[in-house]
This record gives sequence, C-alpha cells and structure tokens, in this order.
Amino acid sequence: MADEVARGVPSHVTDDLSATAIALTHDELRERMSGNLCRCGAQNGIVDAITEVYAEAAS
Amino acid sequence: MIELTYARPTDAADAIRRAADGNAKYLGGGTNLVDLMRETVEAPSALVDVTGLSAEIEETGDGGLIVGAATRNTAVAAHTAVRARYPMLTRAIVAGASAQIRNMATVGGNLLQRTRCTYFYDTDGSRCNKRSLGEGCDAIDGFNRYHAILGASPACVATHPSDMCVALAALDAIVHLRGTSGERTVPLCDLHRLPGDRPDLETVVEPGELITAVELPPSSIAAHSTYRKVRDRSSYAFALVSVAAALELDGDAIADARIALGGVAPKPWRARRAEEALRGRPAEEATFLEAADAELADARPLAGNAFKIDLTRRTLAAVLQQLTEGARR
Repeated sequence: MADEVARGVPSHVTDDLSATAIALTHDELRERMSGNLCRCGAQNGIVDAITEVYAEAAS
Repeated sequence: MIELTYARPTDAADAIRRAADGNAKYLGGGTNLVDLMRETVEAPSALVDVTGLSAEIEETGDGGLIVGAATRNTAVAAHTAVRARYPMLTRAIVAGASAQIRNMATVGGNLLQRTRCTYFYDTDGSRCNKRSLGEGCDAIDGFNRYHAILGASPACVATHPSDMCVALAALDAIVHLRGTSGERTVPLCDLHRLPGDRPDLETVVEPGELITAVELPPSSIAAHSTYRKVRDRSSYAFALVSVAAALELDGDAIADARIALGGVAPKPWRARRAEEALRGRPAEEATFLEAADAELADARPLAGNAFKIDLTRRTLAAVLQQLTEGARR
C-alpha cells in the first residue's frame, strides 16, 4: 500500500488523476485499506495509527 | 481432487496450441476463474496461464493506445496516458474490486469474467440456465436486487459485473483475438452476447481463441470523461448502477456524448439512444433526464430491482451535470 502511494497509483477517492503525489488523507487511507482490513469498529484507530507511522517515516 | 494440467507459455502461438484441447481454459490473474473452479462451476482439464504474454501498453501511432491482454488492471489505471486521455477508464478500474484483486486481474480476464449472480454460483441448491441450460432460473422469482433491467431474457437476468468493460464500451475499444485460424478484431460492444435463449453463450470468442490485446482508439471527447458507480457500500462492492460518460460541449449545447451503463444489463450497456437524445440539445438537467428516459424506455424491472430505473436515470443526469460543470470551468 505504501509502495503504491509512493508510485502515485490513484485510488477511487483520488480527485486529480494528473497529480503525481498523493496526499494521504483520511479518505485515501480508508479506501486503500479496503480489501486489506475489515470494516470493523477499530478502523478509525487503525487509520490514525497508519497516519502516525507515515508521518514518522516522512520526518 | 480434480486433476488438471498447468502450463505457462511465453508466446501466444504456444498458448493457442496448448488450449486447442476442448476443455482447456486460459488463466489470467485467477481472480474469477479460480473461484469458479472452487465452486465447481468451472472444471477445466487444462489451465494455460497467459500472464507471461504481452503486458505492454503502447502508442498505436494514430493517438490511441494498445494494451496487452496480460496487463494487470492496476497498471492500466495508473498509466499516465490512460489517466490523461481516457480518465473514465482509470476511474472505472479503481472503482472495482480491491487493490489486491486489481493487482492480480488482467485486462483479458476482466473481459471474460462471469456474472456474480448468486444462483449461478450455488451449484447445489439453485437452478441456473447459464450453468445448466434448460433447467430454469431461480433468480427471476428470487432475490434479484442485483439483476438486469435491460437486455435480459426469460432464461437469464444476470448482469455483467465488470466496471472496466463499461468504460471500454463507451470508449469504442477494440478487442484483438487470435486463434488457430488467425487474428481478428471485435468491437468491445459486440464482444458480449445478450442471453436470449442461450445464456450459456456469453461472448463471441470462439473456443480456444485468445484475447491478445485491447485497443483504445484515439478520442478527443474521452479526455473529458468520468465514471460513477453506485453500490451498497462505498468500497469493494459490485455496482447496483454505474455510468461511464464523456461529454463535449459547443457553447451551451451538447456537441457529442459517449455513454455506457453498468450493473443494469447482461453486458456492458452502450447507451446509444441516450447519446442520440443529447446531441445538439442544451446541456441542462431536463435534457439529461430525457436522454436517460430514452435509454430506459425498454427497461423491464423484476420484483427486487425496479429501483434501478430511477437510480440509473438520476445517476446519468448527475454525471452529465458534473461533466458539464467541469467543461465550463
């Protein structure tokens, strides 16, 4: 998933198809998690955790 | 245990030779065929894995693209030229399945995937004319929320599940085929058959014939296009209704349009009546709804899917409105 984002692969919720960099918004993460994880009650926490890890990796 | 042979040839001629045995199947990403084999709907004696054949996306020289049949769905969606020149195709692909499935699924396989009608998969408990011609159809009087309102027959009301094919129908894509007697091309719009009294025959592809590529003809209108999918949940679900549309304006009037519908018919449904009803008319909601009505005039709902008529009508109008606003910006 991280690799696809890095390569600029668009998702269903990507607005601008000409964009080469994808902003990892809440909606982008949720859409890209689809198929990886179930839609359970823990999902919001998982989105936050992924966001945190990405932010650390980027800094 | 069902015994079968497996081969992964690296050239098309070898693949076609290996598939000449009547009960062989070409295997792409396996995202549908393997499921069908597990459910015993399909029982091939030989699998010819064609993922080692052409997976290139190349310029045709006249402004179009030719996509090798083994290209993974994700690679098509992510391709820069597809995103810029045929955005509805990228939008359609990323609306389908999940990332893992799109990474595995091939273009050729996507074209030949089979319906997800639950009665078709239920080999133990349900009658299905597609699986077993002449035994009847349990969907017609069953749970048919996902079934067809256009182009169905008393023998079969199943829908074609592909998102990608809906965009390809609107884009006038051309399917390249190769068999033991040579090569030919078929317009995507003519690849799939309507069920009539033979729902077991789903395409015009001959036994043993291999899809080698899908060609996207040059199209200026396609650069201004999109795909909208309406489904029961916002990700990883098949379409109730989907619309692929391209629009070209001339001032306040519609110069031209390309439209195809998904989730409503046994094949990707090119909406030529709607296109005709739009040409030369003002780009406004009343026109869009009239065009939808023209296309839906022959719609025949079942007990569980009458909602699709109004849903299609409103979705088509909303997509055309979105494209109109985009063109005016």
